[in-house]
Amino acid sequence: MAKENNLCTVFFDGKHIADVKDGKAFAEEIRKSRRKGLISGEVNVAYIKRLNEVHVNADKGRVRKPYIIVEGGKSKFDAELREKLKKKEIDFNYLVRRGIIEYLDVEEEENILAAMKEEEITGQSTHLEVHPAIMFGLTANSSIFPEFNSVGKHPLAWQLMKQAQGLPAMNFQSRFNARSYLLHYPQRPLIDSATYRAANLAMHANGQNFIVAVSTYLGYNMSDAVVINKAAVDRGLGRSTFFKTYSDEERRYPGGQQDKFVIPNPSVDGYEGEQAYSKLGEDGIVEEEMEVNDGDIIIGKASPPRFLEEQTAFGAGIDRSRDNSTKLKSGESGTVDNVMITETSGATKIVKVVIRSNMIPELGDKVGSRHAQKGVIGAVIPQEDMPFTKDGIVPDLLLSPMGLPNRMTFGHILEMLGAKASVVKGVIQDGTPFSKRGTELINYYGDVLEAAGFDRNGNDVLYDGKTGKRFAASVFMGPVYYYRLYQMTKLKLQVRSRGPVQILTRQPTEGKPRSGGIRLEEMARDALVGHGASLVLKDRMLEQSDKDTVWICRICGDMGYFDHIKNMPICPTCGPGSKLESVEISYAFKVLLDELKSMHMLARIKLKND
Amino acid sequence: METKRNEISYGEPVGVVTAQSIGERSTQMVLRTFHSAGIVSQVVTAGLPRLIEILDARKKPKHPTMTITFDKKIASNYEDVKEMKKRIEEVRVSSLLESFEENLKAGTMVLNLDKEALALRSITVRRVMDMISQRFPDVELSNEGNSVSVRSKKKKEIRAVRTAFVNIRAEMISGVEGIEKVVVNSEGGLFYISTNGSNLKGVLEVNEINPENVYTNDMFEILNVFGVEAARAAIVNEMMQVFAIEDTKINVKHAMLIADAMTQKGVIKSIGRHGLAGDKESVFARAAYEETIKHFVNAAFFSETDRLKGVAENIIIGRQITVGTGRVKLMIKNADLEKVKPED
Repeated sequence: MAKENNLCTVFFDGKHIADVKDGKAFAEEIRKSRRKGLISGEVNVAYIKRLNEVHVNADKGRVRKPYIIVEGGKSKFDAELREKLKKKEIDFNYLVRRGIIEYLDVEEEENILAAMKEEEITGQSTHLEVHPAIMFGLTANSSIFPEFNSVGKHPLAWQLMKQAQGLPAMNFQSRFNARSYLLHYPQRPLIDSATYRAANLAMHANGQNFIVAVSTYLGYNMSDAVVINKAAVDRGLGRSTFFKTYSDEERRYPGGQQDKFVIPNPSVDGYEGEQAYSKLGEDGIVEEEMEVNDGDIIIGKASPPRFLEEQTAFGAGIDRSRDNSTKLKSGESGTVDNVMITETSGATKIVKVVIRSNMIPELGDKVGSRHAQKGVIGAVIPQEDMPFTKDGIVPDLLLSPMGLPNRMTFGHILEMLGAKASVVKGVIQDGTPFSKRGTELINYYGDVLEAAGFDRNGNDVLYDGKTGKRFAASVFMGPVYYYRLYQMTKLKLQVRSRGPVQILTRQPTEGKPRSGGIRLEEMARDALVGHGASLVLKDRMLEQSDKDTVWICRICGDMGYFDHIKNMPICPTCGPGSKLESVEISYAFKVLLDELKSMHMLARIKLKND
Repeated sequence: METKRNEISYGEPVGVVTAQSIGERSTQMVLRTFHSAGIVSQVVTAGLPRLIEILDARKKPKHPTMTITFDKKIASNYEDVKEMKKRIEEVRVSSLLESFEENLKAGTMVLNLDKEALALRSITVRRVMDMISQRFPDVELSNEGNSVSVRSKKKKEIRAVRTAFVNIRAEMISGVEGIEKVVVNSEGGLFYISTNGSNLKGVLEVNEINPENVYTNDMFEILNVFGVEAARAAIVNEMMQVFAIEDTKINVKHAMLIADAMTQKGVIKSIGRHGLAGDKESVFARAAYEETIKHFVNAAFFSETDRLKGVAENIIIGRQITVGTGRVKLMIKNADLEKVKPED
């Protein structure tokens, strides 16, 4: 829209407040005052040439980023200030106050020309980046060497970080989270980034430094699996605790009745015998530090009957309350960690019981590094059978080399080299994004390793643990910061041979909480059909599922029933004298026939003579 | 030996094997339309969309194409093939126009014919005028250079004039209807023609075209012109073509099985609700697939009988399926055997 008066419009927090002749000079004026400290440093101003508008913003919720101011082709953060900062005579806020560093919002960023590095400053530059890594947020910045990894891998790496077990909260002992995970011996990484240190993330580290050798092991680490050292696990590698909270409340029902936390007395409906309630304390709640297994009752509760009792001949019905206790879910076990008794705002009593269980790394547990290199444990091998170096170093984890080339996570390899240098030198190395060139790093680490008598490429000569023979090739070995991810076998393992069935179809239930089976899906079924394995299919679909015997009338083709008093099958339609045959069908099919019948469709079954 | 080895066992569920073989390959295919390289590009549907097009038995393919080869005498001569191209390619008045002006109120229209377009197709202004006057007797024509003036003889209302003028511009001058674009290609020194648009019947009527050398990817045209056996062959051919373009292949027997199934009723039936799956004999098998209620209600209405011969229905009721190991039955029961005394 063309402006009639050729004036520049000034907006303050989105409101049109004035018009000025020269918008650019106006914006520059505001900027100068801000740097002098005449107006707040939180004010940002942008001149938008395309619209001939000046936007002045001082409202909340703008994302702002610090820049070093450049004047006359020279950074205002000079050698003198740098020296002072190093001696800690001044701090970052001092620089902000003195107009050396300023915070810009996204709109003002459009007006500047920022140099990435001091050497790149030209006459036109107005600002200098504090550090290239500052473009990332906290999460992205706590990863190391991201510039050496494939771009698409970064989100996956951050995804892994979220799943890592660590220290969930400092007050975890007095918390009642539904589920939480605690890593026993968290370590700070041997390579970290400037942001990681600045945010003091090592205080709640969520991983451990595993000694990793890039080698195969009898196929136990193929396809992203890893082999881990049993001795290391026994020493506490990757060990964690899983906390789960069970809770229950004393409900109130219409009619003045209410639940009660008690050890149910033998007269209640569904009483399970004295043994079942043996772990409960006097208050009906399980005692702390009690070992509990699946099916054990942890909160005893008696509830009033579901339906109002009929008036009996003896006057008011006797108390037929029912057992409504909380049991430990199937497959779970552990120790009672904590019990809390409290009440809601509605003054109903609430009980929360925390069960703690030890999670020792085992087959099928998931681990991952900071470079989106995740895998499941394929085997836990005794230390005696693991490869070792001449110094007797046995790797904690064997990583298959096949996972590295096509994923292009060079950062992982660089971390191994750098962390090895950290160990050798006794100094934690820096992996801040965009701080050094790859060749520079490799040469530096190589020199450190060589000085300590290691191979400069990070390779080690390994000996086979089983035969003691030297491996023909030397193996790349070094520490890697690994996460133990919360996907664990113990929480997911599910098997069934017999078990509960669904009421409607009498087919096995589905899902772990209902101790269900694994469904034979449509495509698996097609595969069986494709193989012509008719009896396997029948076994899955009928025998191991919802087999049922029904009586079919030869005359009318409808279903009859077996009369156990007369000890003979009866067809209600054709009456006595009808001939019925017992037929095995799927119960789901019987339900189908019944439902069709309920809609006035009768499917008659004609039986062949045999 | 070879024949023996290729023989399928009795009771082998060939349909499932076919479905799996094709299904596995199709997961690899990308959802894309294939463009053949070249200056005069030709658009061909390929990959999964084309496969779906074939199996769904769409009445018109998205990109109908014909390939016409010639006997060696013509094929080796570029000019002759170009002459054939002129005969086949659909030319309408509108495609010859450089511009036109119309005055609907006065009932006049001036068609400015493009000199180059005329020359390219060897069409004279005279011929255009003849064609128009033949089809539209109630207009008067006069020409001046490359311009043809059209004047409506009778006074009509504007709407009628407009329709007439649009029809004149859409009038076909030469070629076969539906053949929108013709490209001359060569392979091994022999020239052949590919087209956008397909009209099998029309092309076959053109002189000097041997019916054996004409191919179209429109299987319904093949069905209508050559009959159902040819259509079956076309389905096989087209399916194999889809996989060939993707640089993979399936056993031709799979394609043949599908083509047989699609054409067994004498017309091309699609695979799916309105075709094969909808025509299944078993009520349960149909109800298990789609539109469950419709099939049950109709079955009840017409008192249908399910003879439980297929696979799906037997799985539903929980019987041994009738393929593979479930196909074979004992002809003589053990109990009956005992009655028969073995001859000494």
